[in-house]
Amino acid sequence: MTALSLKNINKSFGEIQVIRDINLDIKPGEFVVFVGPSGCGKSTLLRMIAGLEEISSGEFWIQDRRADQLPASERDIAMVFQSYALYPHMTLAENIGFPLRLGNQPKEIIEKKVQEIASILRLEKFLDRKPGQISGGQRQRVAIGRALARDPKVILLDEPLSNLDAALRLEMRIELAKLHKQLEATMIYVTHDQVEAMTLADRIVILNNGEIAQVGSPLDLYTKPANTFVAEFIGSPKMNLFPASITEGHPGETKINLIGSSSNLMVNKDIEPNNELHLGIRPEHMTPSDEGAIKGIVTSTEQLGSDTYIYFDSETKEQAVARLNGITAIRTGEKISFDASQEHYHLFSPGGDRIN
Amino acid sequence: MVRFPKATTAWLLLTPMMTIIIGVVGYPLIKTVYYSFTAAHLASPATTDRWVGFKNYLKALGNTKFLDSIENTAYFVSVSVSAEIVIGVLVALLLNQTFKGRTLLRALLILPLALPTVVNAMMWRLIYGPDFGALNALLTQIGLMAEYQSWLGDPDLALWMVAVADIWKNFPLVALITLAALQTISKDLIEAATLDGANAWQRFWTVVFPAIIAPVSVALVLRTIEAFKVFDIIYVMTRGGPANSTKTVSFHVYQEAFAYMRIGSGASYALIVVLISAVLIATYLWLIKKQGNTA
Ligand SMILES: Nc1ncnc2c1ncn2[C@@H]1O[C@H](COP(=O)(O)OP(=O)(O)OP(=O)(O)O)[C@@H](O)[C@H]1O
Ligand SMILES: [Mg+2]
Repeated sequence: MTALSLKNINKSFGEIQVIRDINLDIKPGEFVVFVGPSGCGKSTLLRMIAGLEEISSGEFWIQDRRADQLPASERDIAMVFQSYALYPHMTLAENIGFPLRLGNQPKEIIEKKVQEIASILRLEKFLDRKPGQISGGQRQRVAIGRALARDPKVILLDEPLSNLDAALRLEMRIELAKLHKQLEATMIYVTHDQVEAMTLADRIVILNNGEIAQVGSPLDLYTKPANTFVAEFIGSPKMNLFPASITEGHPGETKINLIGSSSNLMVNKDIEPNNELHLGIRPEHMTPSDEGAIKGIVTSTEQLGSDTYIYFDSETKEQAVARLNGITAIRTGEKISFDASQEHYHLFSPGGDRIN
Repeated sequence: MVRFPKATTAWLLLTPMMTIIIGVVGYPLIKTVYYSFTAAHLASPATTDRWVGFKNYLKALGNTKFLDSIENTAYFVSVSVSAEIVIGVLVALLLNQTFKGRTLLRALLILPLALPTVVNAMMWRLIYGPDFGALNALLTQIGLMAEYQSWLGDPDLALWMVAVADIWKNFPLVALITLAALQTISKDLIEAATLDGANAWQRFWTVVFPAIIAPVSVALVLRTIEAFKVFDIIYVMTRGGPANSTKTVSFHVYQEAFAYMRIGSGASYALIVVLISAVLIATYLWLIKKQGNTA
């Protein structure tokens, strides 16, 4: 069974196509995160699911009901806006109870529900206040509370934490994860913060330029990025991509040349010869080694205490970065060489698609 | 550099302005209060200092023509201001939608406002003209009326017709103020209400109305105070006639003081009008403050 299903969804604003051929099935109770760079169409996709934006072509299904023409109010989908969108002249209790009041629920039921939600979200003390009299984090919780009021099957959240400071963001992130477990509602969450995506999602949908670049569990995306876009998008600092070529292969063994460098890396696998590959290695998988195949000169270092980032100009002319544990004594201008074990190699075709 | 305490600096800076205000507003006001207790008459300077106590005031309050003019004014204010608010808000709601030609219509809205009151009054007098007026022509040609009518000559109609002219000129002020308020409403709020299940009417009451009520009441205050003082449009269109049916308080004061040259009793009328205005202003200020507290 699916909670929502998107089939060949397209969206154009006038001449400009912003969503291209999206296919996606979302299971009941799943926490799906849409992530991608600014302007890639995350909000537009979410708004089409909510019914705030028309679908240009394609089919949208809620369970087994075709829903592209269904008015927003009949979709049983709630949404939390980035701006919170609380009604400024209503108290928090009235804000949370508003969807129920519109549904002509009896007073006692509304009050009971509001109390229940307020206790889940720790808002009991503020229920008589107006949105102008509480903090950003509390407003955020009220916005979530209002979304919960009608027990919607699906809750959409568009960058709900982006107006909060770092500490509060972390706290709310943990709370959201808890809330999701508790409620068992389907949630779709939009963010451009990959840490939020990695920590919250059952499944991440990475969008690039209106298209799905990859769908998968957070660890899938990290260990097996389907293309260079995903490879660079997930992970921080981002994955190093070195131009490489494969000229010869012996059975069961392939030699990868880094272009501009004399050294080779070996993989125990058969890979077709190709001159314009990219070899991707994550910074945290680079280990310093005197005979390492990846050589360069350190241009700068960042000491984070727990980690050290070492930026260097590699022989392939690429800026690259390695992430080492703890504090190291490596200095700017030093020659350095790294190795990486072959299970951490990511090979991409000239078009950017994964080949190993 | 010499440094004064903050309050001293403020008073120093305010002094020139205060002097001018006291000179242009304070002095005439005191003079008016003084005259209202005398039998001053423009044609006989000797009367200027003849003290009569509260006689002018007592006479004014017993004068049925003056009381009638208060009633006329009340009619005029309630009709024109309420129509201006209703039409203004409706027009603002329309102009807040996206449609072709919206910018042009918004620009046109300024036109009646930009027109001097006297020009507006003369224009409407032409429209209402009993012989060649556009209104008569229009209504007879579309068959709503059999024969020409003297719109401003009919005591039962004249005040309403003047009110229409005033409404046409002033509803754009309300519309502009409301439109500005409407544009501050975030789209998210409307969309949130939609998702919460609100229909158009409920969206208006939960999102739009609370956002425009404060600015609209300010417009209401301004328009009421202005309409209460109405003078020039009356002067140009009807001179208070026919049969005093459009005589408002300001016009009554003008007649008493300048047409009949009875400065003393004119001043007492004027001060009664000021008192009523002050009550109106205070009421509205209180209303606004109350709204500010609840919003
Ligand atoms: N109403 C509209 N009319 C025309 N173009 C639009 C409209 N809304 C969005 N777009 C365009 O569609 C594209 C996707 O916009 P969208 O808001 O979905 O991006 P996003 O991924 O949410 O970005 P962000 O992370 O900055 O919020 C953008 O290029 C934007 O300019
Ligand atoms: Mg967005």
